[in-house]
Amino acid sequence: MSEAVPAPAPAQPIGVIHDIGYRHYEGARLGRGHAFAALTLHSLRGVFGLGRTARAKIMPFVLFGVMMLPAAVSIAAMALIQRQAMTYPSYAVVMQPVLAVFLAAQSPYLVAPDLRFRVLPLYLSRPIATADYVAAKLAAMAAALFLLIAVPLTTLYIGELLVDLPGPPHSGEYFAALATSVVFAVLLACAGVALASFTPRRGLGVAAVIAVYLLASAISGVLVGVFESISRDEAAAWAWLINPFFLVDAVQVWLFGTPPNNDGGYPPGVGGPVAAAGVLAIIALSVAALLLRYRKAASS
Amino acid sequence: MTILATEGLTKRFPRVTALDRLTVTAETGVTGLVGANGAGKSTLIKILLGLLAPTEGRATVLGLDPASQALDIRRVVGYMPEHDCLPPDMSATEFTVHMAQMSGLPRSAARERAADTLRHVGLYEERYRPIGGYSTGMRQRVKLAQALVHDPRLLFLDEPTNGLDPQGRDDMLGLIRRIGGEFGISVVVTSHLLGELERVCDHVIVIDGGRLLRSSAIGEFTQATQSIIVEVEEGADRLAARLTEAGRRVTPHGRTLAVEVETGSPAAFDLVRDAVCDLDLNLVRLEQGRHRIEDVFREEAAHV
Repeated sequence: MSEAVPAPAPAQPIGVIHDIGYRHYEGARLGRGHAFAALTLHSLRGVFGLGRTARAKIMPFVLFGVMMLPAAVSIAAMALIQRQAMTYPSYAVVMQPVLAVFLAAQSPYLVAPDLRFRVLPLYLSRPIATADYVAAKLAAMAAALFLLIAVPLTTLYIGELLVDLPGPPHSGEYFAALATSVVFAVLLACAGVALASFTPRRGLGVAAVIAVYLLASAISGVLVGVFESISRDEAAAWAWLINPFFLVDAVQVWLFGTPPNNDGGYPPGVGGPVAAAGVLAIIALSVAALLLRYRKAASS
Repeated sequence: MTILATEGLTKRFPRVTALDRLTVTAETGVTGLVGANGAGKSTLIKILLGLLAPTEGRATVLGLDPASQALDIRRVVGYMPEHDCLPPDMSATEFTVHMAQMSGLPRSAARERAADTLRHVGLYEERYRPIGGYSTGMRQRVKLAQALVHDPRLLFLDEPTNGLDPQGRDDMLGLIRRIGGEFGISVVVTSHLLGELERVCDHVIVIDGGRLLRSSAIGEFTQATQSIIVEVEEGADRLAARLTEAGRRVTPHGRTLAVEVETGSPAAFDLVRDAVCDLDLNLVRLEQGRHRIEDVFREEAAHV
């Protein structure tokens, strides 16, 4: 690369390529915030497979397409039969398998390669704290999930405004659902990334996340069935909350007074606050586990 | 200028003591940190980067305390770990740009520095391909590039020649020499292969079992003893006995004998020559001993 070039006379250096040797960097050195933003953006792009191989893009974009499908169908239904086919508050709850698959498929990508290929020490030897790394990864996953829910919701809302249904638009429901999608995004991101961070193997991470979701929804479903069959409706209402998606829905019902998206509703009275406390507890537990896990990784 | 100093630095893990009251200082230039595997080299680097808290004692890096100013240190220090640390699905360019940003460089500056740095470490067209397909030599260059990309004032290189073939080893050592000299960046380089540090370091610190064995300028190491290396086909023990009789200190090293002599004395060569003739031995080799840090290390370790 550094071809021998006759040293140009100082007066006429124009148009000559020559090896100028090592140059020191005199420019700005930004702080933790910049590094955090860079890592978050890098991770967010990675979740959707951008900047990665074509194969890595298939899964996130297929799932994104599936998430958009009900919105498209619903807009068509509104245009043709002048009726809402899918309500805003029910969107994420109805689409929960898709969200769970997305979470399981993509959250290991965020943490497993850094552990498996041992890139983590390089991050930790740079001017960021361990907590910054964890926060950036969580922010990336939460942003990805928020986009996955909010984009179809917003499309649906724009569709509703354009179709102009009889009666006022469901703006309140839309904003309630949008706010709830933030809760969904944060809760799922924390739980998913925390579960995935315990193994450097991606396959194992995917399996772990999906297994936890299936287990929670199965236990919840079975208990609800059993309690309903013996007519213990209040116990059944509590059993719904074992499934994280219905847990968040219960919070939505409590905060915004939307109709519940399960059969039979949630426990009245303290049910809402308890569900909200549950959401916060899961988030706190996941973040604590992540911090502990990466503290340990930093010193090993 | 002192780039790093430790004072009674101790690190105890539940089962082992990695560092045992280590007190060392290093000046600008290239400093070799020598020790067998498990001597505490990597632990020392982690403490200096502020990733690990020492059990006792204190350290300073570029005048900063790793315990309280770790981020300030990491902003101006580069670290190349011993192990593989590269994601296979990214290209060297993307990865180096990303790592530069993580060190606080704005995106455009990061791109420019990454291109410059990769050129300096000797990666050209291949830098756009995914790292997964690189040879060990190329990977080591990328690892070095990511440590160098933010123009640090001090570089920690942990076993940079690990796994390289002789040519790659020479290239890497040449690069380290250039970084320490032409680039003006101080380097702390660890190795368990002592011979190669001799070629690049200004100063060598030898640690063993977490304790300081020796710390001195490279010249002092190699001039500590003068010796002649003699190799004969058979009868090395007879020759050794004869030379010992003549009042020389003789140490056998495998097939060769090292004879200690006073500096610049041709008489010693004559003595060896005459002894070989008298004993009627076949002389294979008679040369000025090339004093390796290795020998010093071996001897000092034997005394501890």
